[in-house]
Amino acid sequence: MDTVTIRIKRYNPDTDKSPYWQEFEVALDNEKTVLDALEEIKAEQDGSLSFRRSCRHAICGSCAMMINRKNGLVCTKSLTEASQETGLFDKKNTVTIEALPYLPIIKDLVADQSVFWQQYEAVRPWVIAPDDIPEKEFRMSQEEVDAMHGAETCIMCGACYSSCPVIAGNKAYIGPHALLKMFLRVMDPRDTEIEARLDQIATDNGAFRCHKVTNCIGACPKGLNPAQAISTLGKMALRSNRLTEERKERLKTLIAQIEASTVE
Amino acid sequence: MSGQTIIHDVVIVGAGLAGSWAAMVAAREGVKNIGVLSKVHPLRSHSGAAQGGIAAALGNVRPIANSTAEDALEQVPTGAEPSDSPELHLFDTIKGSDWLGDQDKIDVLVHDAIDVIYEYEHMGCVFSRTPDGRINQRRFGGHSAPRANFAADWTGHVLLHTIHEQCLKHGVRFYSEWQLLELIIEDGVTRGVVAMDIITGEIQTLRAKAVLFATGGYGRAWKITSNATANTGDGVAIAYNAGAPLMDMEFVQFHPTGVYRHGILMSEACRGEGGYLLNAKGERFMENYAPSKMELAPRDLVSRSEQTEINEGRGVGDDKQGIYLDLRHLGKEKIMSRLPQVREIAMNFLGVDIINEPAKIQPTAHYSMGGIPTDVNGRVLANENEDIIKGFYAAGECACVSVHGANRLGTNSLLEASVFGRRAGYEIARFIKGGATLHPLNRTGANEKQEKRITKLMERHTNDRTVSLKHINDTLKQTMTDKVGIYRSEATLEEALTIVHELREQFKHVRVTDTSKRFNTDVLGAIEAENILTFSEVVVKSALARRESRGAHARTDYPTRNDEAWLKHTIAMQTTDGSPYLTYKSVNINWEKYPPQVRQY
Repeated sequence: MDTVTIRIKRYNPDTDKSPYWQEFEVALDNEKTVLDALEEIKAEQDGSLSFRRSCRHAICGSCAMMINRKNGLVCTKSLTEASQETGLFDKKNTVTIEALPYLPIIKDLVADQSVFWQQYEAVRPWVIAPDDIPEKEFRMSQEEVDAMHGAETCIMCGACYSSCPVIAGNKAYIGPHALLKMFLRVMDPRDTEIEARLDQIATDNGAFRCHKVTNCIGACPKGLNPAQAISTLGKMALRSNRLTEERKERLKTLIAQIEASTVE
Repeated sequence: MSGQTIIHDVVIVGAGLAGSWAAMVAAREGVKNIGVLSKVHPLRSHSGAAQGGIAAALGNVRPIANSTAEDALEQVPTGAEPSDSPELHLFDTIKGSDWLGDQDKIDVLVHDAIDVIYEYEHMGCVFSRTPDGRINQRRFGGHSAPRANFAADWTGHVLLHTIHEQCLKHGVRFYSEWQLLELIIEDGVTRGVVAMDIITGEIQTLRAKAVLFATGGYGRAWKITSNATANTGDGVAIAYNAGAPLMDMEFVQFHPTGVYRHGILMSEACRGEGGYLLNAKGERFMENYAPSKMELAPRDLVSRSEQTEINEGRGVGDDKQGIYLDLRHLGKEKIMSRLPQVREIAMNFLGVDIINEPAKIQPTAHYSMGGIPTDVNGRVLANENEDIIKGFYAAGECACVSVHGANRLGTNSLLEASVFGRRAGYEIARFIKGGATLHPLNRTGANEKQEKRITKLMERHTNDRTVSLKHINDTLKQTMTDKVGIYRSEATLEEALTIVHELREQFKHVRVTDTSKRFNTDVLGAIEAENILTFSEVVVKSALARRESRGAHARTDYPTRNDEAWLKHTIAMQTTDGSPYLTYKSVNINWEKYPPQVRQY
């Protein structure tokens, strides 16, 4: 029977000095996902292997990890496909799995996403509706709804966040996930606080902090485009009338700096 | 070492729709000190996996006049006669329940439905829209009007995110990744819970004036299941261990369209939008079982029909255990706008693009009709006389109100979780503001008992730790699928009961290999397996006792419904030796308006 090597970065901060690699062999089967392989290892080879998972079909967002040096969800990643991927760090017939990067590790493949969630809460992700709500629904066109799809379907898995080079160096940056949530609220015709949201977007750790490296696009398991949403938010924040000329100039300088640093 | 005791006015366990609604409403009503425990981050809750829609008779959409069931819908012009009503929704749900649902409670469900949908909309939920900008609606099985309000095929996802956001707005405190271990009830009064902080491994007692369980369903007892790995019926098993009864546990819904061999849900919206079910001969076999509703018959009936086709050799796939779900005739545009997630699922797990090819599906364990009995305000009923357990509440799939009776209609579960979570929130706020007191823990030891239990699970190098968790899980799930599945009989159920008893015995020798405190999912797996074993015994015993076929409970040896003997709810109580004792309770029926009828579609 064909087998595949699963190479996993293990770490328990209570007992291990530093992370280490461990290899497991599992039988290859076209129907298996990478999650199936992890479950199999846990059930049959090493019960102490720790990872998050729940829904098994890319809607709960629990199982985002780094697979072959690229972030994604293990539940929908085909084991066969993953075993064929080769790159700078990957051998054929080997699948490399690590916790999401740029975050502290709780244990093995479980990353500590506390900062990620704090940023999500900090953008006030809820709709701030007007005081005079209608008796029935707010009327809204399907086009307005469609414009929100690219943000509404975000599952907050953190794959984009942990692929972002800005986040790697600066945890104060709002982050692609929370900015995408802000995009949803800014686009929502029911929301009344666009001005305040654009203020937050225009802060030094807001949209203009994005280096446009666009790793987030490749990382998103739902095919969303946080980079574009961030860019749009930035333009809206710049155009907004309530920004003083001085602030606009400061932002332009900031953008120029960021773009220069990206080029080098 | 146990940490300090945590004190809240209200402790809610579970952060899906029911738990989050209750928390949000109680907070909005002025209850300040609410703690919500969830074994996964709240946004990972399984409510988010619901796809097709949430029922409410808004009457925004109607079939085009003189069209057949497969034809298009249109928005109802302003000022036109209402095309749907709560009364129609009520009757559909009663019929769907095979007359086991309590009609007074279903009446509450269908009337609250309309308020709940508009409240979701006002809170920012992004629903799909009609041309004139109202909430769009689609058809669903067993509903006689298009009343599934939807957001493409990720309805649960948008509802869950919306209600979680509102909880944050109202300052609800979440304990993310905490595992419930025990419910503390002393002298009929609720005192709190014992739980484990998964990240640190610390075991903590949380005292509260009121405790609400919203822990979800128990579908993980079956091998092929649509349920998330978290849905191990923890709340159901733990409430039962604490002396609460469980109601109608034999009723478990098998969804007709789980992904072949995986069990993952492919929304009923596939059929709501016009999809066909085909057997190996390419026949739309539903015309032999439900000629008027066809694929849009209720789920119990469609799953049984599929299983009959499979049993008679007309299944598809290598092992002939599958059925085809054919969506090709819907066309690319409709599939892309209405069923994008389903398309993605079929691509990921079957390698099939549903635009060009039919998808292989099979029935999958999906929804738990049974659970902890409650009144319409979430208060848990202590017995068949409907006495109340003071301070204990339950809502959502872990509860049994009962509005679904013997079979739930699609889109009624998101609705039930929302309506009764919301009502429980109001009830808990009344209870707290009405001067509820924090009762002392007189009999200490719950915390220590749980610590000892975990330590024992992790004991190493002892000779009697010989059973693997995998053996327990695999054997139990295969048994429940083969012997307590879509069809059951006295013979299969007796066999299942013997196996469950053997596994409970073997569990005493189960081996856990992870001995660390931090994020120990091996220990969690053992705790979950023990919970599954606990409620599975109740499921099997209740099914064995019910000698009739009703809704999702299909006995091959008693193939018909027997209202004279069995128009009643099963109530299971744990006896001192741990085995269930069964008693029964009458069903609320409006005999003048909705007496039991023959259930045909």
